[in-house]
Formats: sequence, structure tokens, C-alpha cells
Amino acid sequence: MSQQFTPNNPLPQEAKVPPKMAVFPPEVEAEIERHLAKYPVKRSAILPLMFIVQRERGGYLDPPGVAYLADRLGVRITDIWEVATFYSMINTEPVGRYHFQICRTLSCKILGAGKITEQCTKRLGIKPGETNDDGTFSLSEVECLGSCGTAPMMQIGFDYYENLTTEKVDELIEKCKSGELSNGVR
Amino acid sequence: MAELIKVIINGQDFQVEKGARLIDACRENGYSIASFCYYADLALQASCRMCLVRIEKMPKLQTSCTITCTDGMVVTTESEEIEKARRGMVEFLLANHPLDCPVCDRGGECELQEMVFDWGDLEERFTERKNYAPEKFLSPVVANDSQRCILCKRCTRVCDEWMGEDAIEAGGRGAHTVIGTYGGWLNCSQCGNCIEVCPTGTLLDATYRHQTRPWELSRTTSTCSFCSDGCQLSVGSRRGEVMRVVARDRYVNGHNGEFLCIKGRFAHPFVNHEERLRTPLVRYKKGGRLVPTTWEEAVRFAAQKLQEVKDAHGGSAIGVVGSPRLTNESNWALLRFARDVLGTDKYTASEAFSLAPFFENLSAPLATHKDIRHAKTIVLIGGEPEELQPLTGKQVRQAVRNGGAKLVIFNSVPIRLKEQAAQFVHIRPGSEDAVVLALASPGDAEVAASKLGVEADEIGKASQIISETAGDVVLMFGGELSAEAQSVVAQLPAAFGEKEGRRFLLHPLPLFNNSVGVHDLGLMNGALNPLEILDAAGSEVRALYVAGGFLPAHLEGREGALSRLDFLAVQELFLTETAEAADVIFPAASFAETDGTFTNSDGLVQRVRQSIPPVHQSKPDWAITSQLASALGTDLGFQMSSSNIFLDIAHGVPAYEGLRYPLLKDESKPVQVKHALAGRRDVTAQLAELRRALESLDENAEKITETPPVGHELFKLGVLTSKVPQFHLLAAGNPEPESVLVSPLYQITLDPGLRREAAAGD
Repeated sequence: MSQQFTPNNPLPQEAKVPPKMAVFPPEVEAEIERHLAKYPVKRSAILPLMFIVQRERGGYLDPPGVAYLADRLGVRITDIWEVATFYSMINTEPVGRYHFQICRTLSCKILGAGKITEQCTKRLGIKPGETNDDGTFSLSEVECLGSCGTAPMMQIGFDYYENLTTEKVDELIEKCKSGELSNGVR
Repeated sequence: MAELIKVIINGQDFQVEKGARLIDACRENGYSIASFCYYADLALQASCRMCLVRIEKMPKLQTSCTITCTDGMVVTTESEEIEKARRGMVEFLLANHPLDCPVCDRGGECELQEMVFDWGDLEERFTERKNYAPEKFLSPVVANDSQRCILCKRCTRVCDEWMGEDAIEAGGRGAHTVIGTYGGWLNCSQCGNCIEVCPTGTLLDATYRHQTRPWELSRTTSTCSFCSDGCQLSVGSRRGEVMRVVARDRYVNGHNGEFLCIKGRFAHPFVNHEERLRTPLVRYKKGGRLVPTTWEEAVRFAAQKLQEVKDAHGGSAIGVVGSPRLTNESNWALLRFARDVLGTDKYTASEAFSLAPFFENLSAPLATHKDIRHAKTIVLIGGEPEELQPLTGKQVRQAVRNGGAKLVIFNSVPIRLKEQAAQFVHIRPGSEDAVVLALASPGDAEVAASKLGVEADEIGKASQIISETAGDVVLMFGGELSAEAQSVVAQLPAAFGEKEGRRFLLHPLPLFNNSVGVHDLGLMNGALNPLEILDAAGSEVRALYVAGGFLPAHLEGREGALSRLDFLAVQELFLTETAEAADVIFPAASFAETDGTFTNSDGLVQRVRQSIPPVHQSKPDWAITSQLASALGTDLGFQMSSSNIFLDIAHGVPAYEGLRYPLLKDESKPVQVKHALAGRRDVTAQLAELRRALESLDENAEKITETPPVGHELFKLGVLTSKVPQFHLLAAGNPEPESVLVSPLYQITLDPGLRREAAAGD
């Protein structure tokens, strides 16, 4: 035989158990019901439900949250994964309290989105795609957010901050650090 | 015959069927059209844009895979404009492709590679940095190199539509889309069909990875040796070693298409496993040691011992046990040996359940897998095809999803196919017989329903679906049915009566590759069944000649039976429980080393072809039997040729009359045996028996409410599958390794306690 079973790194393993499902308080369940009622096909409510679950599960879709969505919408876990990874506003990894999403598509790019990102990196000490150690800030570059007229711009949570300059970025970061600024999660 | 319409392709008139897809119409008429994402009988994708054609009066070029032919359509498939578009598309597809063909396992049989040779330009204009991702494992058997992907999404569609699992999907977006799964570790039935349909080297067989190149392999078309679906496959071997098994349509075109399950595709390493028996072994004294010996000595000793028993107790004191895993030829040789050499009627096969009552009362033809795909109503009583007969499971799923068939399931377990069912009747465990009674005699339906634990009208509804069907009705049943219930199922079509446009087809779900074959040959019609033979060991049966082993289910509770025999001769691949008790063991050749035929559950007789020489000193089972017969002074007349045995079968078995090896040559046109159809039989006796059995059913039995996990039967460790290390990981629940960059085999040591129980039918 060409392939031998030669384990060289013993590692006790438990048989894989499916992730536990998240449980939500009644008022959240009611909100979810309201969204589900809007659509003739259950799975159409996938995006609104993702936003709710993300908000309730600490800013990202954790495995119990994904398991809940799959069960609630009658789809498979991979379907949730497929949709969640498509949209930049759905997070599949934990993010910081303030999530800076800087637009890097054409208009913003031409008007200096690169400089804005650089400034954020310098001030926050994290590269795009990273979260800082105390979990306050996350930085990411995203595709067009549809606000080309006010480029360069970025999004923190759901809030837009437009016509950015490096000074404005500094100001925003200070406000975040002092907790004045809303993190834009609704 | 469907209505014909006229389509003009490249200036020539063609008659095509109404509703035909344009790409198919062009290809059938000899115009090759390049494509990646188009795959017959799957949902349309139109993402590769290679199949562009010009259709008159339509703006822009059109994707021919999404266009349905209409009357008078004027199509151009070759022009400068189309070639330019096609070359442009290839350039786009290669924008992120690493072009690492020299180290890619798919190199040499890659659709993308061929397409680039045909339509690619020598130079690339893209100078941007390509996406990079390391090669990784998605499971113990599936490897993934996402940078080679061209996003045709064949794999995701196959996973969803064939397997109903949706385990693999495309995540991310734009140029960063990757094929993968949530959490990065596949928890599916590991069929590997995503690997098979992949036109590039993105999804790879992890067991075959970096071992050979495709052009080094010699390929043999053969039949799978696991379940009763009889999938056609191509065995790739190199220097006497089976390297891989595929069903790719460039090599083989069986009734399974490119479908195989985990066992067919990945369980082949048992063929060259180091534990295969190497030489004949003889135990000269009871309680002694098995010692290696020569063939001459082993055969001489076995013949001498059998002769002694025959002289002392008569030929009928010797039992002969065939196996539904062996070829028709090997089983026929055993049957001839029992009848002509020993003169015994104590022959049987180590089969899990006998289909004899079913075939005796057979009143409708057997459904082929193609029939199942195009059936209008499918009734499944018991059984779990998606685990035990995966191809049947896939055909049923496609019949429902792509063909609009209605599926009615009667099962005590909420099996996964339930998702597709128009009606799922959840019955109590062990009450499958009562379903048959209720369907056959509506008068008993009400009583049966209360015993089954279902609403009274559920059975009526199911009957209504069957009687209202216009088209084919396929009745399938699993091994749970009793002999009486089998007879009644075989006569069920009569109970529903004749109706214009409706045709009944029957489909048993036996467990083994040649279950139907051993029945056809008459090996199951001996005086005793395997259990009775074991019970008679030491009294009526003094000696046994066994090809293949008894099933663990047979030996359970009868552990001492084999040691009570005066003499036991066994021919086997491995030192199994049966072989360990033997006085003489002959090393037998596996399916990859013999020629022969298997008869699948459709009644299709399909060729098994030798792909490698027998390993070590093993010999085909029929060769051993005829050698033993010669030593006992009878020439069975096979002249060491399996085609001679098949000729003998064709003369001796009415259903196989007229069949010859040359007629079975083309695997794409399989031949169905002609099972004799019984007319309408009186089954009142059987119905009465079923009624009696109904009385004793427990009305308060608990129902099984949990759907069993994927792979609970597929991953079980049998004699053969336990020889494959990957199966041990899967049987232990497919633990996720610390790093997916290295095979989990090198990272995980299994606690033997995690292994599940041995396979039921292995």
C-alpha cells in the first residue's frame, strides 16, 4: 500500500458535535417574527435576520447564531455562510466596538482613500482586516458604499462619515476613544 | 415521440425535439461547443460564457446552454466574432489561475488545460498579482486548491442536487469568491462527486494526491463491488497497484454517469492492502497453527479432507457457501461444485436476506436507475437508499427535484430523503410489513394504521397518489420486509389494477453488489440458509466450503459453530472471523483482479474486468473451485476461462439465456436479464400471515424521531472499508484537525473507543 496510517502527533479528539443554537429574548424573537411575516418565502428574510442576529451576538455571526439562522430560515449552514461572506456589512469574525469600513472603490480611491486608510493604520496601529488588542477598533477596506459624491468616505457601523481628510479622521478617532461617538450599530 | 422543430445551425437544417437545449442540439449534430459550467441534468449556471453562439434576431452573443430551441432558429456556432469572445473568456478565466499544471494532479485530464490548448493565447495581458491561497484539506478525502478555481459551480450544484447536502458552497464575492464550506471542514457523506465534476484541479482526491500522473495509469472499466447499484467505474492502476477509482465520463459511461459514493471512490485501497492473504494456509491438526504452504499442497489437503467426509457421511454432509460479493462466475462454479462434485443440496450464499419470495411472485419488470429518474411516483417502504444504495438515493432525489415526481416514504426512521417526500408516513419500528398489508388490502388499512401509529387517512392518501399516477410508479422496498410481505409487494401492481398510461416497476434494495445475481443463479435455493447451515454445523453438516466469509450478523450468537465442523475450507481476501476458524485458507482475488459479471438491483448484468494481476499468490474464486474439483476427480469444463463459465450460466439459467461477454462489452448500453414475470398470483395465504403478524405488533412502541447523521451506514467499518485509514477518521465522527494544510491522517490518533460498530452488511 502506498499510504500508511502513521499518526505522529497524538491528539485526543471528540466526535464533532453540531454547534449549539443561540437563544434570544422574546422581544428579539418578536422582531424576527415581524421580518419573517413580510416575505412569502421564509428564506427571503435572510438579510434582516442576519443583521438582528449579528447585533444580538456581539457584532458578528458566531456558530450558535449561524445555527439559529439556518434553523429559523429552513436552509443549510453553508447557505448562511455563502450569503454572510458576500456582504461586507455582515461579519463572520469578531470585530471591535468601532468598525471603520473605508470605501476603496474608484471615486474614493482617486480622491485619497489610500491616505485615509494609512492614517487609520498609523493612529490605530492595525492594518485593514485587523482588530486592535483591546477590541475597540476594527479596520477594513470595503467596496463602493454608494456615496461617491462625497468621496472619500467611510462607514462606522451604519453611519456614514464623508468628505474625509486626515484631520477629520484624527478627530473621529479621538471621539471614539472618549466614547462620544455612536458606534452606529442599530 | 416528441414534436420535431427545425433549427438551422451554420446554414444546415436540422430536426430537433421541441424543448431541446441549443447546446445539446448543436453537439448532437456534430458541432462542438466549448463549455465548463454546463452539466446535463443540473440547474443552469451560464457563468463560464464559453458556449456563446450568434442567434439571428437576438442582440449580442447568447449562451447556448440556456437557450431552448425554437422553430426556425438560425444559429451560427463558428465565426470570427465568436472565436474572439471565446479567446477573451479563456483569458479572463486564467486571470487568477496559477497555471501550475506540472504539479497539479488534474494535469493531463483537465478540461481547463484542454480549453487553453484549444482557445488560449500564448501571452497573458494581465500583469496584476494573482490571488494566492495555499492548498488545503476539506476532509480526509477531499483536498482543495482554491486558486485554480474558475467558479463554474458544478461542485456546489452537484452537492445540492445529487446529494441533497449543500455541504460545499461559494463564499465571498467577485474575484475573491472561493469554493468552501462553513468552518472549513466538510461534514458530509464524502461522496467525492464534487471532485469528479470539477473541470480544473481545484477539488482533488486527497487519497490519490501527488501519487501518479493520469497518463501513467492503465484504465479498466469495471463494476463497483460494494452496494447493489452496480455503478460503472474506471479503475486506474500502475504496476500492479490500484491507484484510484473514478467515473469520469471521458473514461467510462455507465448508468451512474459520473456519480460514485465514498465506498466506490475511496475504499479501493483494500485491494493492495498489506493484510491481504499471501499464500494458501493449512491447519493440519485441529487446534494447530495455520502454516503457509503451496497451492498444490493446499488443494491436495482440502480435496483429501473433503473426500474423507464424503466417504464417511456422504456428499450431503458438506455445505457450500457462496457470497453476494463475488462474481456470477465464481458463484456458479460453487453451485456446480456443490451439485456435480459433492452431490449436496446444502448450498447457499452469505446473504443478509433472501429475495426468493419476491422474484417468485414478480409481476412487473424491475426498475432501472434510469426509470427511477423519470418515474412519476416513487414509493419507498423501509430501507435507506441514501446510505445503503447511494445511486438510488440520488436518482430518487433528482426524480423529485428535477423531474417533479411524487415520493411517498414509509419508514420508521426520519431518513434524509424525507426532505424530498410529498408524503412521509412515520411508522413504528418493525412495522414495515403492516404497510404492505395496508396497501394491498384496503380493508385492513384502518387496523394497520393504528398499529403503525399513523392517521387512518395517511395510507389512503398514499394509495391515492399511486392510483392517480400517469406514468411510471416505482415500488421500492428495503430488507426489513418478511418473506410474505415480499411476495405481496411483488404482487402489489395487481392490487391497484390496470390503468391506461400507468406502469408499475419494482425495485428491491438488497445490500450487495451481486445479491440479485446469487439469487438468479439459484444459489439461494439450497436446502438450508446460512443461519441453518451454521446451526447444523457438527451434526448434519460435517464440512463446509466457504467463499468469502459469513456476515458478522450470521456469526453473532453462533461463535462456536465453525469449530464444530470436521473440516472448513475458506477462500478469502483477509483473515476474517470465518477464515480464522478454517483448516484450509485459499487466498482469493478481489474484484480488481478477476474477470466476471455482477448483476445489480436493476437486473443489469455488468462486466467486472481484471485491472491488475492477482496480488501475491491469490487466484480468482472460480479458478480455486475448479482446481479443487479437478483434485476431487471432476472436470467442471471451464478451461480456466471466465467467459466459458458465463456461457455455462447462459445455458443453465433461463433469465441469462443468450447472454455472452461480447454483448456486455459496452457499459453505456447495459443488458437487463429477463426475469420471468409471474402472472396474477393468489396471495391470500401471505396476507393472512401478515394479518396474524399485525396482531402481535406493539401499539405503544416508541417511534424513532431523530434523523440519523450523514454517513451512519456509509462510514461503518466493514472488512473492506476498515482497511482504509480515512474511513477510520470518518467513522470516528470526522474530527477536525488542528491544521488543514496537512492531511488529518498525520495529525490525529484515534481512540479505538470512538469507532462505531462494524458494518451490518460487510
